[in-house]
Amino acid sequence: MLLFIFKRFLWGIPVLLTVATLTFAIMHIVPGGPFDREKKLPPEIKANVEAKYHLDKPLHKQYILYLYGLIKGDLGPSYKYLGRDVRDIIKDTFPVSIQLGVLALFISIIIGIGTGVIAGIKSDTWWDRLTILFATTGISLPNFILGIILILLFSHFYKIFPPALWEGWRYMILPSITLGFAPAAYIARLTRSGVIDVMNKDYIRTARAKGLKYRSIVLKHVLKNSIMPVVTILAPLTAALVTGSFIVEYIFSIPGMGRFFVTAVTNRDYPLIMGVTLIYTVIIVLANVAVDILYTFLDPRVKLE
Amino acid sequence: MSSNLVYSKTMKIKICITAFFILIFTSCNIAETKNSNIFRMSISTEPPTLDWSLATDGVSFNVIASIMEGLTEFDEKLNPKPAIASKWDVSGDGKIYTFYLRKDVFWTDGKPVTAYDFEYSWKRLLNPQTAAEYAYFLYDILNAYEYNSGKIKDPELVGIKAISPGVLEVRLKKPIVYFPSITTFMVTFPQRKDIIEKYGDRWTEPENIITNGPFKLTKWRHEYQLILKANEKYYNGKPKVNTIKLFVVNERNTALTLYETGDLDMVSLPPEAIPSYREKSEYKNIPLLRGYYYGFNVHKKPFDDGRIRRGFAMAINKEELPRILNGGEIPTDSWISKDMLAHNPKIGVKFNPEEAKRILSNAGFPNGKGLPPITLIFNTDPVNSLIAENVQFQWKRNLNVEVKLDNQEWKVFLKRLKTDTPAVFRLGWGADYPDPDNFMTLFTTDSGNNNTGWSNKRYDELINMARGEGDREKRINMYDEAQRILLEEDIAIIPLFFTAQNVLIKPYVKGLRLDAMELLYLKKLKIERH
Repeated sequence: MLLFIFKRFLWGIPVLLTVATLTFAIMHIVPGGPFDREKKLPPEIKANVEAKYHLDKPLHKQYILYLYGLIKGDLGPSYKYLGRDVRDIIKDTFPVSIQLGVLALFISIIIGIGTGVIAGIKSDTWWDRLTILFATTGISLPNFILGIILILLFSHFYKIFPPALWEGWRYMILPSITLGFAPAAYIARLTRSGVIDVMNKDYIRTARAKGLKYRSIVLKHVLKNSIMPVVTILAPLTAALVTGSFIVEYIFSIPGMGRFFVTAVTNRDYPLIMGVTLIYTVIIVLANVAVDILYTFLDPRVKLE
Repeated sequence: MSSNLVYSKTMKIKICITAFFILIFTSCNIAETKNSNIFRMSISTEPPTLDWSLATDGVSFNVIASIMEGLTEFDEKLNPKPAIASKWDVSGDGKIYTFYLRKDVFWTDGKPVTAYDFEYSWKRLLNPQTAAEYAYFLYDILNAYEYNSGKIKDPELVGIKAISPGVLEVRLKKPIVYFPSITTFMVTFPQRKDIIEKYGDRWTEPENIITNGPFKLTKWRHEYQLILKANEKYYNGKPKVNTIKLFVVNERNTALTLYETGDLDMVSLPPEAIPSYREKSEYKNIPLLRGYYYGFNVHKKPFDDGRIRRGFAMAINKEELPRILNGGEIPTDSWISKDMLAHNPKIGVKFNPEEAKRILSNAGFPNGKGLPPITLIFNTDPVNSLIAENVQFQWKRNLNVEVKLDNQEWKVFLKRLKTDTPAVFRLGWGADYPDPDNFMTLFTTDSGNNNTGWSNKRYDELINMARGEGDREKRINMYDEAQRILLEEDIAIIPLFFTAQNVLIKPYVKGLRLDAMELLYLKKLKIERH
């Protein structure tokens, strides 16, 4: 297994390099530069600024300089937040996004699998229909609408939770529900299908015939075999949740990293765009490895080679 | 045994759920206890920097204005008055300004503020390696441009000299009558050489920064919150409010919710919420020195013909715009902002749809027929869309001209302005200093911000002469003439309105000053018992 993990990490290097190259190329193709302002800079000043950030150099040289910095672990200075390195910005904001993302992931897994299993084993009952309603709503309701509804309900009308900011765990409830709601709905649908499929298998019939308790059949046989599709989506889901969400962070004023996926682009803050993209890629690579390992625990037929 | 176990598990779950809800309902929120002498407000973004040589945005400037002071500051009427400089002299030829500094101004570490700190700061601003975007603010100083652009290397040749700890001498290239106004601007505030050299880029972090203003920065949780505490060493006396908490709240509706729940004492109102709060005593509307205009590319058809520009300018009833925007905007035909020297509402093309139609007809386009396709381009923004749709409707109604609308992302729009200026486009301008020069220089031939391609020798001459004209009346006349050339004779732009700031302030907050420069003054702030 160690060899497998090592190999997968090695494969991560060309993936990172490809992502870095493509991102670098695309962000320079997009019109507009980091120092284009409503109040235009005199050419002499623009020259000083561009020289400071090596933007006066040809593109290929800028790319080499960036890669050289990357090898040394230097993600470069932000063009927007002057005097701050991208590394510092990520260091300040990524833990917040992880906190929120893990909580949202936890909520989505618990609610998604829970409702999915109940709907699956009670298919064609009102439980099932309720779950389908929940799943459809969760997938089709944009999270900025859900966030506003939650704020209205729980902050405006019933002053239970604060509407925004990040002062403690009470402040995490509404944003993590907002962030976790759609994935929970998606997981519920996947689990439900899986459960219905597994419930019709011969080994479940055998287990019932042997007189095993229903609860035990569901927990030991049905659940384990029906959540494989959920495990498959866990990697991209984890990456998406722990790297933050622009909308949720924006609505709830959370000092996370998710906002930079949008604001760094609108500001043409090239190093920050590269930084957050690479972090996202690293998380995707790590999560995929983790999911592959998880497969071996859930399905003994899967071997890591 | 087994049932006991199940029971105890159920009990544990119940206890956990109960504890969860007890915690929820008993945890305190950020709402401080009443009368806590803390002022809480939102800022729309993380300050990009607190290094006042590098700052270029309103959020950073507002924080800097609370922790720092410069040679001069604005009074209520936006005239420069002494701050750290107790007085200043101007030489007979208007080229040498001598500032005399107060002796009782100290940095937060107890050291006195001296003229050397100003000399260092100004030369640092001009140093090409600092790459300060606002370095051009000091270009009127002798050799400042040459030093900043790398033509000369020796900073000693620049006309900034600390004669003694209490005297700063500034030599200008030519007389500039509004120079004391420039010294109110944050980029001219003094700096501590020892601190900047010691901490490098990190000198603005709370543990390193040394300031001289009414408040001092004690905490900066990036992307989230800044905390300022009253500076007991402030030369005008320690402020009455102990603590200022600034929360970074990007979404204005979220800020409004926090204001409603009592978590903030002041917020900026989102435009859509203004009608609901307009009648409340907490609502404040502050007109700004910020103009909004449509510019013509005078080299692109059909606006290469001055008559067409006149017809289009005449066909807009600007009074309609505040009614759709609801933000207390002031419609205008002239360009120099209200409350500024030489503001003259009589100047500019007035709304006259009949005349506009006649002009267009005389130009060969009766009833708007035969005009090439026209596209009005603006940057993507709901307010810009509202305005563009209204103007599009007015041009159709008054001239029978179909104009297409096209909005572009901000940086793409700016690139487009530079590389392929549209026939008609939207832009705005906010004052850096409250002098007409700041608004009128915009359209001189050499100005990098003149996107219209328009050039007029007489206009350039007038703007150049007015900068050094000491006689107030003569100066006003010069700007009147220049405005007539820009807006009535050649019509390079159509000014639409001056914008305003709309805020809510809790009734127990007193002494807060917001000015037309969009600056917030917190030093006289007081929180009453509530």
